[in-house]
Amino acid sequence: MNLLPRLRSTFGLSLGLFVAVAAWVMYHGRQGPNLPGFTSENMATALFTGLAIGALYALYATGIVVVYTTTGIFNFAQAAVAAFCAYLYWQFRVDWHWAAVPALLVVVVVIAPLIGLVLDRMIMRKLEDAPFVIQLLVTVGVMYFLLIATSQLWKTDRPRKLPAFYGTKSFALGPIHITYHRAIVLLIAIAVAVALRILFRSRIGVAMRAVVDNRSLAGLAGAKPDLVSSAAWAIGAMLAAIAGIMIAPELELDPSNLNAVLVFAFAAAVFGALRSLPLALIGALLLGVSRQFLISFLKFGGDWTFARDGVAPVMLLLAVLALPQSRLQVGRITRNLKPIERTSRVWETVVGGVVLIVAFLALSGGWLHLGFWDPAAWNQVALNRANVALATAFIGMSLVPLTGWAGQLNFAPMAFAGWGAYLHLRFAMHGGSATVSVWWLLVVGALSAPLGAAVALVASRLRGLYLALSSIAFTEIMARLFFPHPAAGFRKINKFKPFDVFGVRLDTRRSYLMLLVVMLAIAMVVLTGLRQSRYGRRWVALNDSEAASATVGVSVGATKVVVYAVSAAMAGIGGVLFATAYGTVDAVRTFTLDASIPIVLLMAIGGMAYPIAALFTTFQLVFLAIADRLAQAGAPHRVLGVLAFLRLFGPGLGAIGMVVNQRGAAFRAGGDLARFLPWRHDSKADWARTKAAKRDREIGELGLSRPFSGADVLAVERRLGIVDEVARVRPLTAEALAAATFAEGVGVGAAGG
Amino acid sequence: MLALLEVDRITVRFGGLMAVREASFEVGPGAITGLIGPNGAGKTTLFNVITGLQLPTNGEIRFAGRDVTRLGVHRRARLGIARTFQRLEAFNSLSARDNVLVGAEMASRDRRGGRTAAQVADEALERAGLADQAGITVGTMPTATARLVELARALATGPQLLLLDEASSGLNDDETEVVGRLLRELVADDKLAVLLVEHDMSFVMGLCSTIHVLDLGEVIASGAPAAVQADRRVQEAYLGTAAGDAA
Repeated sequence: MNLLPRLRSTFGLSLGLFVAVAAWVMYHGRQGPNLPGFTSENMATALFTGLAIGALYALYATGIVVVYTTTGIFNFAQAAVAAFCAYLYWQFRVDWHWAAVPALLVVVVVIAPLIGLVLDRMIMRKLEDAPFVIQLLVTVGVMYFLLIATSQLWKTDRPRKLPAFYGTKSFALGPIHITYHRAIVLLIAIAVAVALRILFRSRIGVAMRAVVDNRSLAGLAGAKPDLVSSAAWAIGAMLAAIAGIMIAPELELDPSNLNAVLVFAFAAAVFGALRSLPLALIGALLLGVSRQFLISFLKFGGDWTFARDGVAPVMLLLAVLALPQSRLQVGRITRNLKPIERTSRVWETVVGGVVLIVAFLALSGGWLHLGFWDPAAWNQVALNRANVALATAFIGMSLVPLTGWAGQLNFAPMAFAGWGAYLHLRFAMHGGSATVSVWWLLVVGALSAPLGAAVALVASRLRGLYLALSSIAFTEIMARLFFPHPAAGFRKINKFKPFDVFGVRLDTRRSYLMLLVVMLAIAMVVLTGLRQSRYGRRWVALNDSEAASATVGVSVGATKVVVYAVSAAMAGIGGVLFATAYGTVDAVRTFTLDASIPIVLLMAIGGMAYPIAALFTTFQLVFLAIADRLAQAGAPHRVLGVLAFLRLFGPGLGAIGMVVNQRGAAFRAGGDLARFLPWRHDSKADWARTKAAKRDREIGELGLSRPFSGADVLAVERRLGIVDEVARVRPLTAEALAAATFAEGVGVGAAGG
Repeated sequence: MLALLEVDRITVRFGGLMAVREASFEVGPGAITGLIGPNGAGKTTLFNVITGLQLPTNGEIRFAGRDVTRLGVHRRARLGIARTFQRLEAFNSLSARDNVLVGAEMASRDRRGGRTAAQVADEALERAGLADQAGITVGTMPTATARLVELARALATGPQLLLLDEASSGLNDDETEVVGRLLRELVADDKLAVLLVEHDMSFVMGLCSTIHVLDLGEVIASGAPAAVQADRRVQEAYLGTAAGDAA
């Protein structure tokens, strides 16, 4: 735990990785026919193109950095806002034939800042004191919502193309031809960098940077925090609009395609340590140039033709790992959610699991007559959807110990799931029998765990945002470099055989549904047991305070390895269940980041700390199955429309809704419903107490949370403007005043004694 | 008596700020040692250095004769160093009993004296006067009670050295007395070494056999409470300005 070796090993690790990647690229890159030569003309062209592309990344990264430095919120939705604005511009410019200037003005100067203001006022402002995980997930929700909205508003019914400025016109500069569009891009990037540099040096800029350090203190010093954060969001959205409009002609006009730039933008922003605009600009240009050189001069032959898609995540991972990380933090302001007051007993979960199994037997078998639910029960399509949804829920449940309890934000459940599916395909599919034993799932789980442990070892020094970013890089690396490779076996026509258990073949959809439900119930019971065990306790403790965990003797690193391994094992098993529900796996589409994000969002909406939240991820099941049934029964189009809307927008809107309910639906529902259970006298008492407490909410409204110190009290007194009055009653010592000012000044009291 | 903890010329620099400057002192077993000083003197920083949360720029920490300066936080804890925090670092999502259990489960069988973790945890809760509140989630407890939970959690690890950062702040008179009695008991019966950072002067003066005074990162005086109180430098640096507070 020594600083120097730690630094050395961080750099050593990323340097080693970098060398390995470089060697790999050298070896595989210059293979195949028609390799372009390293002529000065080729090099100059690649350099300039790379700079222009890098300038675009810089615009994205700049928007992220501006918002992060002023509000402390890392905006995942940056590229989604850019995509939305690019489409808007297309609407005005191409579809409605406006001239370029008014279309630009309307999108960049009017609509984009409005989007920024709406995000700030309606959503982000309410997250000021929210825990980091919630802040991040809400912006992911915004991203998801915007992407779905864009693809719904501009359906892919016809090809769309956004023209470059001045078309393909170019001018000659020495040996190379430069298009006007790219020249403009470079000029804009430079202009933006200069303008922001001036802004940040100005009075407003100083105020902006002060606000993020301590909002209330900066407010006391005369800055207007609300104005500042609105300005930051508006500027961020304008930068997004410019970036989107300029990059769209270089890429295809497609929402998820435009959003994929995000990974480059993140890498560039991380290069600037999320704070430095000049460094982010340099990082972006480096990324652009190195990517362009890869594309221009390297032809990945043979099995690696897809390899250049992996450039962005590899660079993001390197950037995150190369950044020096903070040590264990003490005395940080803990912004924990309302603590869990009670965890389920194992027997309660067993009862719940049995109820779940019986309910699914009844629903799928048509034992129930529920209005629209006729005894003909679910048809094959509905059953299939149910199977996929339940398998997805199982994968989602892998986030409960890792993210819900241990607080390790992870966007990679689908990467672990894909790994499990790969192992299953590799080891369990041999032999001529038509089915595969269900016990293979345990083998897959055991074999998946080491990947989780390996990820934990690499990620163990990362915390919070950087950990989340590294999991994004990991998912993308798996999805772009491993799963499409022939060695993964997903490119061949793969058939995931149905299971058999104790000689019973589960080869009908309904029997598979029941296997999934039983697996889900077992997993819930196991998780509940784990939560009560020493391991579960340790994981939750780690989330509450890493520093305190370490000082009672918990090895933070080893604990993370264990929880990652458990999570990876669960996700691996879930991946097999998922692939078996489909029967096959698409090498490039199934286990991607795009597939991971809605799972993470739905689990968060359900309540990440509760195994039962997995049932909320079966949203898809509920909506799709019902919609299917209703359509058959001839339901009016409007009803189906609402269901379709909920299915599409549910994850995004629900995640945005976490602004209000941060603990998730399970917490809310559990708290509200538990008092109806006959054996839950504690819950009844709680309910009465809560009702009483609601009448007296003064302290809560002041936004205070424990730990509560003299400095907090003084801050409140200041905010209420009663310092002098209090001082008259209770004379203020110079020391107490100094303590309060010091605590406020440094925010965390890092060096105080 | 051989010192259990030796703080040897520890210096901590944060950029241009010298938080601790060449601080040296020793803490022996079976005694309560006080560490006092005005705000910003570097007391908490020293605690962080001793437990490993902060690496010193210079100097050495020895525990039971062994150099632990570069040892990881959890390894030091397993050697027998336990602490509480000035700003609470309790496990808020867990019940009081689970908080203490996490500590007890990390203690080796040896240190638990053959008892189970559950027995150790219940005993620690009992000693801190928390037996009747074991099931309550710590995040919902008042600060003072959560402080006692931290103390019980530290005790449950079976430490040889107990570092208490502002143990009595936020406690009422009864609770302060309970803590005082507990500390005396720990020192007398269990032969623990206790190092105490405190603002409450009467608490420190009444409990400690030795006091070290820290000002601007330097140890400016060491000795028995009465001697320290009489020291001119101490009066100038500390007691003079804080006289109103101590009253």
